[in-house]
Amino acid sequence: MKVSCLQENLSKGLSIVGRAVSPRSTLPVLSNVLLATEAGRLELSATNLEVGINCWIGAKVEEDGATTVPARTFIDLVNALPPEQVDMELVVQTQTLNLRAGRSEANVKGIDAQEFPLVPVPEGEGGISIEADALRTAISQVAFAAATDESRPILTGVLAKFEEDQLTLAAADGFRLSVRTIPLPQPVPDPFSIIIPARALVELGRISGEQEDPIIITITPTRNQVLFQLTDIVLVSQLIDGNFPDYRQIIPQDWMTRSVLDTAAFLKACKTALIFARDAAHITRMHVKPGSDLSPGHLVVSATSAETGDDVSELDANIEGEGVEIAFNVKYLIDLLSVIGTPQVALYTTTSSSPGVLRPVGDVDYTHVIMPMHLGR
Amino acid sequence: MNKETRAILHLDLDAFFAAVEALENPALAGLPVLVGGRPEERGVVAAASYPARAFGVRSAMPMHRALQLCPQAVVLPPRHSLYRDYSRRVMDILHHATPLVEQLSVDEAFLDLTDRLTAWEEAVGIARALQARVRDEVGLSASLGVATNKLVAKVASDHDKPGGLTVVRPGEEAAFLYPLPVRVIWGIGPVTADRLAALGVTTVGELVQLPEADLRGRFGQHGAEMAQRARGIDPRPVVTEHERKSVSQERTFARDLQDGESLRRQLWRLSQGVALHLQRAGLAAGTVGIKLRYGDFETLTRQVTLDVPTDDEQVIYRAALMLLRRTWQRPRPVRLLGVSGQNLCPPTGQLTLL
Repeated sequence: MKVSCLQENLSKGLSIVGRAVSPRSTLPVLSNVLLATEAGRLELSATNLEVGINCWIGAKVEEDGATTVPARTFIDLVNALPPEQVDMELVVQTQTLNLRAGRSEANVKGIDAQEFPLVPVPEGEGGISIEADALRTAISQVAFAAATDESRPILTGVLAKFEEDQLTLAAADGFRLSVRTIPLPQPVPDPFSIIIPARALVELGRISGEQEDPIIITITPTRNQVLFQLTDIVLVSQLIDGNFPDYRQIIPQDWMTRSVLDTAAFLKACKTALIFARDAAHITRMHVKPGSDLSPGHLVVSATSAETGDDVSELDANIEGEGVEIAFNVKYLIDLLSVIGTPQVALYTTTSSSPGVLRPVGDVDYTHVIMPMHLGR
Repeated sequence: MNKETRAILHLDLDAFFAAVEALENPALAGLPVLVGGRPEERGVVAAASYPARAFGVRSAMPMHRALQLCPQAVVLPPRHSLYRDYSRRVMDILHHATPLVEQLSVDEAFLDLTDRLTAWEEAVGIARALQARVRDEVGLSASLGVATNKLVAKVASDHDKPGGLTVVRPGEEAAFLYPLPVRVIWGIGPVTADRLAALGVTTVGELVQLPEADLRGRFGQHGAEMAQRARGIDPRPVVTEHERKSVSQERTFARDLQDGESLRRQLWRLSQGVALHLQRAGLAAGTVGIKLRYGDFETLTRQVTLDVPTDDEQVIYRAALMLLRRTWQRPRPVRLLGVSGQNLCPPTGQLTLL
């Protein structure tokens, strides 16, 4: 293999695939990045067997070939090179990659590309096209609600339900639920659902920041992997096998009290409460106080720590229904209010021990449910 | 007084949960009362009143079994925050006697009275006074043991339940322990007891007769510790500010287990035990762990950190089962299984959605 490319492009490509490297794998080759020439481009690839990312950068190929090099060493090295052309040549016998850039020269010891697991590439037509911006927003509004502990593997995933001209993403960690629906440019012929690891979607969100064209989604014929096709990037993820809980049953249909709040003010009150709540299991009390004909209603947000102190914030609120006191994990509220995306948010509550529902005002396609905490403590 | 000789008191509240329920509802006094999970949910007995124990009911027994033995029993769901309030009142009384209090759970504590005494015998008067204050001020019956170390004090408090006060004076430890069954020694479980019985050893006195080298040969390091304890030797100090790191339950099987169904059943029982311990101590576990020992003694431990700390038996079981599925090389025979809760903290009060 003999190939040249710009340091800047190589560095950027490595930052895209680098997060899929598994640093502590029992399989040494998984700590490596694959470099392979392909039709006048250089392909970079990394996988941790759950998520794999391929990325293609412009290159001048003099001699085709492939190898794998240790990701950490290679990334650190490339980032240290001057912003010039990088010439790479593989010594096949020893699997040593020689790099030259400006007046620097380096040799990196690699592992034969034959040992690298095959990352599937999209075949033929028939993918589902989706607007990149909408998908990225939906991921940011849903993936954080997935479980991070693996005691229920299904809940570490995000349900993706394709039905007619809509994609619904849903995630729940047992204490909260996030559901977002986005339109599909073309309706799907038959409805189907898959469960994608939340980690994979978070990666997709990260690497799709500059994507302007639609993202193409394809399920492998074996139905155990999903591919996301971007411009010059493909992300492949294993799917989680099993039945996702019926989230629609969890969303309360009725409410006693509806409080409409300014999102930024509510978020600020929650962040202040966190200063004290973090010493007390994040418990933060919400006291909903309806107003009268003459005065507006209020929401009083308060947190108390036996060690550090307490705080109270009073917010103006437009309240329908009866007063209620309810406590939430304030981190859950901050997670949601940071991504809700509208100037106003509506909080729907019933009793202090029944789930609270939060919705962006003016956007019917996003629903978040949070289970409260015991008020007794 | 010779400060080499310690004066250790162990206090154990009698049928604590059931006794609190009877204080809250006097109509329950004298009735067989069982506190615990419901039989249809495969619950276990967390506490049984003495009238219920007369039917052979014991704590940690499956509730459906307890109700077979005593069908007329009143079954109540546990009210842990109520028990914690009563516990705090008892512990406050103990703290008046000495700051050296090691609280083992809601209903159990060790006190080191050594520094308060000019003569060892004074410990007996203090114990009697504490027992009376707990009875008069809180309304609860307690059993107490006074001895020179934790091991003997704990065996002593169990010696005359309910409401007893058993004193084992310095030098009397051996005579007190020898006639008792080996199971009273901390660290001797049913499997070890069976193996000792096979050697003709059923009492502590018989255990002491076995040469220590023999015990060490048969049981390893555990054998050496057993020999020490059987002689009434226990140097463990009373630890205040009892920062518990973990709660665990483990079980060695009489015969190695090879089938998933049996292992799951054991895991469920162990998970229930850990949950019960956590609830009694008023704690939740942020991490759940399992311990797996194969027939050839290869031992593995695995743990998972939970998103929200728990004291719920179902949540603990689910996490433990996930770890077992990932760890156990079916059908390799399993000799010992354990479940633990680590990273302990007060329960968060977070309610669950699903």
